[in-house]
Amino acid sequence: MQQRGPAVRPPIGIALDGDLGNRIDAVLAVAMLNGFTAKTEARRISLSVSRPSVASAQIADVVAAFYRGRPMGGAGGGVGAITEGVIGMPDGSVPGSDSPVLAAALSTKTSDGTPAYTSAITGSVNTAESAVLIRNLLLAQHDGNAAIVLAGPATGLVRILGLYRSGPQISAKCKVLVVAAGSFPAGQPEASIKSDVAAARKLFAEWPTPIVAVGTEVGAALPYPGASIDKDFSWSPAHPLVDAYRAFKPMPYDAPASALAAVLHAVHPDEDYFKLSDPGTISVQDDGSTRFTPAVDGKHRYLIVDPAQKDRIMSLYTAMVSAPPAPRPGRGRGGAI
Amino acid sequence: MIITGKAVPRRTFLKGVGATVALPFLDSMVPAFAAAPKAPVRLAFLYVPNGIDMKNWNVPQEGALPAELPRILKPLEAFRDDMIQIGNLTNNSGRALLDGPGDHGRCAGSYLTGVQVKKTTVDIKASVSCDQIIANKIGHETRFASLELGMDDSRQAGDCDSGYSCAYTNNLSWRSETQPLPPVLDPRVLFERLFGTGVILSPEDMDRRARYRRSILDFVTGDTKKLQSSLGPTDRRKLEEYLSSIREVERQLEKAEKESVQINPGMDKPYGVPPDFAEHFKLMSDMLTIAFQADMTRVSTFLMTREGTSRSYREIGIADGHHPCTHHQGKQELIDKVIQINEYHAKQVAGWLGNLKSIKEGDCSLLDNCMIVYGAGLSDGNRHLHDDLPTLLIGRGGNHFKPGRRVIYRKETPMSNFHLTLMDRMGVPMENFGDASGHLDPASLT
Repeated sequence: MQQRGPAVRPPIGIALDGDLGNRIDAVLAVAMLNGFTAKTEARRISLSVSRPSVASAQIADVVAAFYRGRPMGGAGGGVGAITEGVIGMPDGSVPGSDSPVLAAALSTKTSDGTPAYTSAITGSVNTAESAVLIRNLLLAQHDGNAAIVLAGPATGLVRILGLYRSGPQISAKCKVLVVAAGSFPAGQPEASIKSDVAAARKLFAEWPTPIVAVGTEVGAALPYPGASIDKDFSWSPAHPLVDAYRAFKPMPYDAPASALAAVLHAVHPDEDYFKLSDPGTISVQDDGSTRFTPAVDGKHRYLIVDPAQKDRIMSLYTAMVSAPPAPRPGRGRGGAI
Repeated sequence: MIITGKAVPRRTFLKGVGATVALPFLDSMVPAFAAAPKAPVRLAFLYVPNGIDMKNWNVPQEGALPAELPRILKPLEAFRDDMIQIGNLTNNSGRALLDGPGDHGRCAGSYLTGVQVKKTTVDIKASVSCDQIIANKIGHETRFASLELGMDDSRQAGDCDSGYSCAYTNNLSWRSETQPLPPVLDPRVLFERLFGTGVILSPEDMDRRARYRRSILDFVTGDTKKLQSSLGPTDRRKLEEYLSSIREVERQLEKAEKESVQINPGMDKPYGVPPDFAEHFKLMSDMLTIAFQADMTRVSTFLMTREGTSRSYREIGIADGHHPCTHHQGKQELIDKVIQINEYHAKQVAGWLGNLKSIKEGDCSLLDNCMIVYGAGLSDGNRHLHDDLPTLLIGRGGNHFKPGRRVIYRKETPMSNFHLTLMDRMGVPMENFGDASGHLDPASLT
């Protein structure tokens, strides 16, 4: 694809597609991307939920609105600023899918009894088809200057592959797809894969760019500390992430966080936070388990935890996740004549 | 309907020296005891530039259109039951996508092509527009595969917007990736094309001819009389009304040509273009009505004014240019002017729709057999937004659509999805087009 635009590139753009209704680490990942945005190390170019669930989209909307410190596209992000606030969600309905665990967080009330958080989303019409949203936002990025992080079922993301001319567009714009799902090199069935085996299978088989998988073993080895929730968010009297974390499980607990590892790798792949497996191919079994088979020409790898990096990573996790909303730069007409 | 024993062929023309007049659909064209043929569906894209004031355009809720429409749509209230207001269509290809400034050039060039046009003033590149895809498939069935009309600026070269060629802002239809189809701006040229021999006369020749001009109908008197004698009373009346509408266009043209000599409109205009916007629009739209009525074409694009135009509207007391007004930066005085211009455009459209609705075609009206897409390539002209594009679908597309409603799609729904749906209805089904992600849900519009 022809490279256009100015030579100065903004930081890498991250499209986050996550199961925000059912995975607390996906919610934490939104906060972490805000932290990287504040440090101008990355930009969240799109946010979508990976299940057709309006309640999940509302959670995403509330969290995104809380962190809306600067346009998602950021400097040079093009369309990002224009689609600011638009949440992606796959088309269709899956029976029983609209009952996310984290919806309870939305019912938090203030001392005077009014809802602490309100979402502008009242139905699917207030959201965008996630595949279209991600495709549109990718097209606004410099070649090779975007990555996609999937922290949930592949239900929505896989539909990009069906869009007209999408193959070359994804290959040109997206450097890597980081999938926070499965267990590697092999393991028990994992919930995100299991909930849509066909989509996961198609994604690993047909996605045109390299894929790096982050298994449950990484999330379990590097959980987000519950103690941070109690002490690092006092800068805001009401915080949707804090309420979601507390609603997810009885406190205290440390949340497995493969989505955070996925974001960290997508933003800083060359800073040795993790080890990478040799190349190979990931296959998805009927029961929702994943299996990695080494192959010299394989496009897939998986992350391996390096114990020596644990303290460094945990310190970065808490600093990035608990960062206040990034300051909002002045807004011009941007492109108007 | 009166069924006569002998059918008049559908492709009958009234011919004379230098004149060819196609006929509207007549009852006598139906063979005795045969089922009435289905009237063809016609498609027109009617485009206004610089966005629209969306606060005064959008009906807030989905469902039946309310009795009182938003201010800009008020002139169209008589057509509430003929139109669907569509929400949330997006033209992503009109956005910068790293190409920097030039939203006007991009949004017009991509409006019917669905692709990101090449930023250049030299080696232009877009794609075949959806109207031309349709024209290529069904155009052989009519005298003109398509008609491209405009009213503003015919420049095809030069920089019209931050490095975008005027070919993008001044055309809607593209025959190929590199070949736009410039709109006809001059009503006389359009008239000659519809009823003449196809030879476009120079201004001097036109002037000379005008001095000795007789009505084009005078040249086809022989054929007219012959045809009239074979028609029943209903068809005779229908034919007389149709020929009167052609004569009325001629009168308007003659008047406009006289005025264009006497009045300096303050801008370069081709010979014979009326200085008054409303008059110009009426002439062009009246001729498009005749072209649709006589099945001379089934596909048209109509660029009311070119994208990015700074045309002023002194006739309604607005001396400022349209484009500068749209960059109002929140100043109410300028916003009011934008709304006035938007209303003024809608008022002209209402006149045309009334015309289409007054013409009977079998058991329904010509408008019922049309799909008129009235809209813009930008929503908020101040911020140059390319989502929630103002879009009205007017007409029933041959008893297919159920109008009188507002339909809101999901955010970022590609405009190209709508184009795929229209192509389907025109009998040209396509799997992919532009940046489409699929067809619009058929149940949503029917």
